[in-house]
Amino acid sequence: CTKDIIEEEPRGVFTPEFFSTELGVQGGLTYLYQNLRNVYGFAYFLNLGETGTDEYCAAQSADNNFYDLDLAGQGNLRPESGFSIGTPWGNAFPAINTASGIIENAAAVGLDESLIAEAKFFRAFNYFLLVQTYGGVPLDLGSGELAFNSSAVRTSVRNTVPEVYTRAIFPDLEDAVANLPESPRLTGAVTKNAARLILAKAYLTYGWWLENPNGIPTYPEAPRTDPDGNGPSYYFQQAYNLAVQGINNPGPYRLLDYFYDVHVATNDRHEEMMLYADRTEESQIYNGADLGFSGTENPANTAVWMVTSNYTTISVDGVAAVQREAAQSYGRPWTRMAPPISVFTETFAEKDLDSRYDGTFVTSYRGNWDKGGDPSPTLTAANGLEIAPGDAVVSFLDDYDPAVDYSVNGGNIGGGQIPGRSDYVINLNEINRRFYPGLWKLGTYRTDNGGGLGSPNGAITRPFPIAKFSEFYLVAAEAAVKGATGSFTANDLINVIRARAGMWRFDNGEQQERIEDNSAAMVAATPAVIDIDYVLAERSREYFGEGMRWYDLVRTQKWTEYASSYEIAGNDAADHNPETTNRTIEPYHYLRPIPQGQIDDLNMSEAEKAAYQNPGY
Amino acid sequence: QNTVTVSGTVTDASGTPIPGASVIVQNTTNGTSTDFDGNYQIEAASNATLEFRYLGFISQTIAVNGQSTLNVQLAEDTQQLDEVVVIGYGTQRKESVTGSVVSIKGDNLNEVQSANFQQALQGRAAGVNISSTSSRPGAAPQIRIRGTRSLSADNNPLIVLNGIPFSGGLSDINPNDIASLDILKDASATAIYGSRGANGVILITTKSGTKGQKATITYNTYYASKEVFAKFPMMNAAQLIQLRADVAANNGGTPLFGLAGDEYLGNDTDWQDELYKTGLQTAHDVSIQGGTENGSYNVGLGYFKETSVVPGDSFDRYSLRAQIDQNVGKLFRFGLNSVTNFNKTSSIVGIYQTLGASPLLSPYDADGNYLESVRLQTQADDAWIPTRDEVNRIGKGRVNEQLDFGTYNNIYGELQIPWVDGLKYRLNVGLNFRSARDGNFTGQGVFNYNPINPSSASYNSSIQKDYVIENQLIYDKTFGKHQVNFVGLFSSQNTEFDNVGLAVRNVPDETSLWYNLDAALSEDITDYGTGYSATGLLSYMARVLYQFDNRYLLTATVRSDGSSRLAPGRKWVTYPAVSVGWNIANEPFMDKVGWVNQLKLRAGYGETSNQAIAPYSVQGRLGQVNYNFGDTFATGYFVNQLPNPDLGWEFSETYNYGLDFGFFNNRLSGSAEYYITKTNDILLGLGLPSTAGVGSVTSNIGNTENKGLEIALNGIIFDNPDGFSWDVGVNVYTNRNEITSLASGQDRDEGNLWFVGSPINVIFDYERLGLWNESDPGFEYLDQYEPGGNEGMIRVRYTGDFNPDGSPTRVIGADDRIVQDPTPDFLGGFNTRLAYKNFDLNVVGAFQSGGILVSTLYSSSGYLNLLTGRRNNVDVDYWTPSNTDARYPAPGGIQSGDNPKYGSTLGYFDGSYLKVRAMTLGYNFDQSTLKDTWFKSLRLYATVQNPFVLFSPFHDESGLDPETNSGVNADGTRQNVAVNTNNISTGIPTVGANAPTSRNFMLGLNVTF
Repeated sequence: CTKDIIEEEPRGVFTPEFFSTELGVQGGLTYLYQNLRNVYGFAYFLNLGETGTDEYCAAQSADNNFYDLDLAGQGNLRPESGFSIGTPWGNAFPAINTASGIIENAAAVGLDESLIAEAKFFRAFNYFLLVQTYGGVPLDLGSGELAFNSSAVRTSVRNTVPEVYTRAIFPDLEDAVANLPESPRLTGAVTKNAARLILAKAYLTYGWWLENPNGIPTYPEAPRTDPDGNGPSYYFQQAYNLAVQGINNPGPYRLLDYFYDVHVATNDRHEEMMLYADRTEESQIYNGADLGFSGTENPANTAVWMVTSNYTTISVDGVAAVQREAAQSYGRPWTRMAPPISVFTETFAEKDLDSRYDGTFVTSYRGNWDKGGDPSPTLTAANGLEIAPGDAVVSFLDDYDPAVDYSVNGGNIGGGQIPGRSDYVINLNEINRRFYPGLWKLGTYRTDNGGGLGSPNGAITRPFPIAKFSEFYLVAAEAAVKGATGSFTANDLINVIRARAGMWRFDNGEQQERIEDNSAAMVAATPAVIDIDYVLAERSREYFGEGMRWYDLVRTQKWTEYASSYEIAGNDAADHNPETTNRTIEPYHYLRPIPQGQIDDLNMSEAEKAAYQNPGY
Repeated sequence: QNTVTVSGTVTDASGTPIPGASVIVQNTTNGTSTDFDGNYQIEAASNATLEFRYLGFISQTIAVNGQSTLNVQLAEDTQQLDEVVVIGYGTQRKESVTGSVVSIKGDNLNEVQSANFQQALQGRAAGVNISSTSSRPGAAPQIRIRGTRSLSADNNPLIVLNGIPFSGGLSDINPNDIASLDILKDASATAIYGSRGANGVILITTKSGTKGQKATITYNTYYASKEVFAKFPMMNAAQLIQLRADVAANNGGTPLFGLAGDEYLGNDTDWQDELYKTGLQTAHDVSIQGGTENGSYNVGLGYFKETSVVPGDSFDRYSLRAQIDQNVGKLFRFGLNSVTNFNKTSSIVGIYQTLGASPLLSPYDADGNYLESVRLQTQADDAWIPTRDEVNRIGKGRVNEQLDFGTYNNIYGELQIPWVDGLKYRLNVGLNFRSARDGNFTGQGVFNYNPINPSSASYNSSIQKDYVIENQLIYDKTFGKHQVNFVGLFSSQNTEFDNVGLAVRNVPDETSLWYNLDAALSEDITDYGTGYSATGLLSYMARVLYQFDNRYLLTATVRSDGSSRLAPGRKWVTYPAVSVGWNIANEPFMDKVGWVNQLKLRAGYGETSNQAIAPYSVQGRLGQVNYNFGDTFATGYFVNQLPNPDLGWEFSETYNYGLDFGFFNNRLSGSAEYYITKTNDILLGLGLPSTAGVGSVTSNIGNTENKGLEIALNGIIFDNPDGFSWDVGVNVYTNRNEITSLASGQDRDEGNLWFVGSPINVIFDYERLGLWNESDPGFEYLDQYEPGGNEGMIRVRYTGDFNPDGSPTRVIGADDRIVQDPTPDFLGGFNTRLAYKNFDLNVVGAFQSGGILVSTLYSSSGYLNLLTGRRNNVDVDYWTPSNTDARYPAPGGIQSGDNPKYGSTLGYFDGSYLKVRAMTLGYNFDQSTLKDTWFKSLRLYATVQNPFVLFSPFHDESGLDPETNSGVNADGTRQNVAVNTNNISTGIPTVGANAPTSRNFMLGLNVTF
């Protein structure tokens, strides 16, 4: 019996052998979905996808995680730049490896072809995210190309960008399109059409890469030629064809009637949403993050906190008039990222016909002191007028009003007043890094507030969007702009999206019903010739703040052109004098640095390690 | 000539047997020594004379005169060192010890009365660093013997209770039960415990009875009242108002946070006064001890209770100790040592909210009544503020109850092998069982600003079972001037642990606390699970102690361990240890040097190893995650740790050199030691590159080194048993720790804060130089150093290059962080005793010179030094235009997150201090006074604990205790902070927002009947 003492019999833990059973393989698939949470909804991934673009810059409470990416001189983007730059790198490879494990073990355990296709979808999806973020990445994790790694390997060789696309992303996604079901196996599970959309986007992205209009360097160095001998236009056309196929064979998906409904939390998991990282309010365990008080650690969805300014300092009559509430316009304020002024004066210049400005931002902060337990029926606000709970306390003006008198420092947050209005007002071209419109579309939503403020410090329980049906139109339109042809022109495609954007059923800023059909006017305003700039502007209006912007600008090589400077006032709430901040965006920035942790963990020579890093870092 | 066999027992004046005493037939080379129980047997001529000698006692010569039994009582020679040291698997006279061992008697240990032996041990032994990681009652401090050596394996020493490795909670042992505590520090001493002793060994021997002793009853008790040593230095109303005004001044006239919510200018509430109460500490210990001709016993009962100054904090311990030792016939002996305890711990409220609460808020309503629930608003926060009154009012709305039951038993039998003189076999069976249960309940809206904050309750329970079976063969014999002691051991140990836990929200049945969790909806389960682990260790050990003529000493040990935690084929390891000693004072040539009583040189080398990694690390592991597909819940798996079929042992090699001395009739005695420990093949959760697709593998990688010097001195300055006497003891030590290499030649690992050439525990942060002032050289480039920076912001060292005009080539950034070594230059402790007639005065203290003290109270992770006026702030000397040489930055200046930029650097202080831990005045009643009473002895004493702190820059600034009060949680996150710190190694304890240190006033009584 004494010999047995030093033999281990694991109990209470799973060892990797479990992975070769059917339950283990199925658990592996669940992990692939769960792994999306580590990226989508993760606060610092939103930072990676937005800060430094024309959509966001560093806000008053930013730290180096944000300054580094803002490229405006306060930080230094480098391989040690926090968790932001490492998010895709750190999360994609375990998913890729698990997917490879499922694919290898699938036959042995008799797994259905459609389930293998799910694994292939995720392997490709993760490679696609990697190749867009860092350039070429390794296809061999230690046990052979696209093989499940079971060795403690501490070396790595990066493949080139075309190798990653043509050997991993395209074949896997083509299989996924062929074998995935039309309708999802479970709520939010991937389908044939979801695979089409990602594949179409991958073709589109690869087409741009081959074309390389602005001579941006790639790494590891590779000639801009396709191993299969095709040119950029071939891939633009493939992207177009597949996107149109997706539009024509929607399966369970469709474009919703109103943009507002795409983002109003009561309508989450709707038919337009094709892929998302799900969360739940129903169970803290399955939500994976604390429902009462959460940190920003994975897999919590806390992204919107970063772009929410600290509205809770709004004070009227000595009363905290707008308090933290677990509701879509409020939530937990971190004030780390702010939208520059051009977002409101250019991208969302049209605020009346187009419902997307109203359906994206928090444009009026409304009194909720009653929910916080203050019994005051009214407070004296701007111009000595009374406001009641639910009334606007501070509003951002749709249209510039030169008469705003900021000397009153209204609401203690720099609000001004204009005659006749009881709320304090701020011109959108006079916002600062301290107080600016929040991002309503991704806002907090809870059903357990019980008439009070609820638990605004808990992680957000909404699914975080990754891909929507609308993107088929924008991908096809972009491909058409790049020369692809077919049954729809770029104008046709863009106008579907714009016509929908003209449909109103509710005014978010005014918090009241608004039935309007501005579709015709929206279509009429579409330029006759759609160029890439117009597609990118539409994309920003459609997907603002969802973490896509940096990827869009890098794909189209428009980052430097769009984002080299921005305008916003300073860190003080009362500062309404915008200043221009310049960014230094170098060509090498179009690839993010490989995280230092990867380099440190490599057992390779210093020269090999240096060669592993993207040039410039 | 007639030869007779003489046998008997050698005891001291109190009847305690003296093991290892020499019995010599005068004028011959024939001699023996007494066994563990003081028994001897010797052949001698019937007219011979026997000489009985034992160090520390006055030798006696007795003529045999044909007798066959000679029991001898030796009188203590107070001039001599009399210590017997427990060295593991036996005892040894201190004079003969060749390894590095510190021995502390229970009486000395209990000069600082405390809940656990670690607190009592603080400052007592050179090389033993005790740092407090919590100020809550029942919390056990962290012990490091000669520093840390392992990066991610356990650095805790092995504790051996009555010969059996102890696996219980460190507060399970009642310090009043301890007879002696012996600390084995170097590898030659710890080698007998093999892999479990790599971080040092603490041997605890509980009190026992003695043979032939009349039954006595001892009762020890004390009661202490605990008052706050120092409140946290928070601002009062006027200071906070001034701070907000200064924020506004630095911010274009606008305050960041103004008077709002429930704040009123007329209030000036000291929220700490509303919270703290007087705590108590009390103990009652009763024991009965005695012995017969063939046996002894000691049975004790103890009760200990401690509460802190924070309401709701308490720790209760009930303990039972039983010791039996009995001879059966001449050859067989058996015994039992049992320690059983039951603890109850509770902690229900933190103090962060109290410290951060604005003094402009009031706990009273307009009519002057105490608010029912202290939920108050400021401009940016809704706060619930804990107060004494609120804790009392809430009653069962918030309950925490941790129950621990442990029983630690050693049963032994010993058989003298009749046909080989000096040989015996001993069987030790150790049986330990510990169960823990933690119940937690918070009612809806309780202790929360939100009245509908969901209720929550949890129940966690665990059971740990260990057994140890040790077979020992012991041979002990003296051949003339040669003394040999051999121990051979085969042992097997097994530990099994399992646990179960459940936590829910929205408990419908609040009166049931955590006893009706099934009433909650299943989706309200916030945590659930069970766990299990088992580990085993097989060992063979042999040790020889040899000495010649009390002059030349040798200890040699070899041990083989086989561990379940390591890979097949690498489970077994064998390692040697050897040490030698030379008692120079016993050399004939020293006879003439009368003032040297003891002089011994020691040198030792030993290897030990460490297997303290999680069980099943060899096997690899799957990570488990949960997900929801809409309303469908699912569990997923992925490989997060690869198997490592090569996982082997971590090794430490130690060289130890020591000098022990006693001069001037031992009135000056002490020891000095130097050691160097190199730890190789460190067990490490080795990060694989992300591209491997798997997070980590546990592997043998990396090396560390520890070097240190330890000096202990004891002086008897005055020595008059009937008049005035004065003893002083001081110990001073250093330990220098360094990582000498990491995986694959990497020289830094920023994520883990490991840097080759620096200690394992470091601070990796910017170096604060002061504040930026207009008059500073380079101020004109402020914007190039710090875009958006302002005068009065923190200035940190810039490590980059300069342009020809003197401006920096880049902004200050993460590249400017540097490694800072928090290791003190030296630290130590002192104790002194003054006695005059029946009075005695004891003072015990500890000190540290240099090093960095980290206080999260002042740093950005504490959120109490935001300098924005959002919450109450630590009262700090901050920059204003008229106070430019302040330590703290201009309030409302450049921020990073919610804190001043570089706010983390504000938490570093000079770690020097000297602290008097306890002063005790005692009175022993005269035997003559007690003659006609039931009392055999009676002592009364009064103690003040933590009376004062000197030479501490941190104390000078803050008024606080410079000893740490916060550690890290099991997941590595730091305790008593608002946000985690990632710039300080997790091995560094901090001063955070935990229950304040108390100053205790104690009255005690020791009686013997």
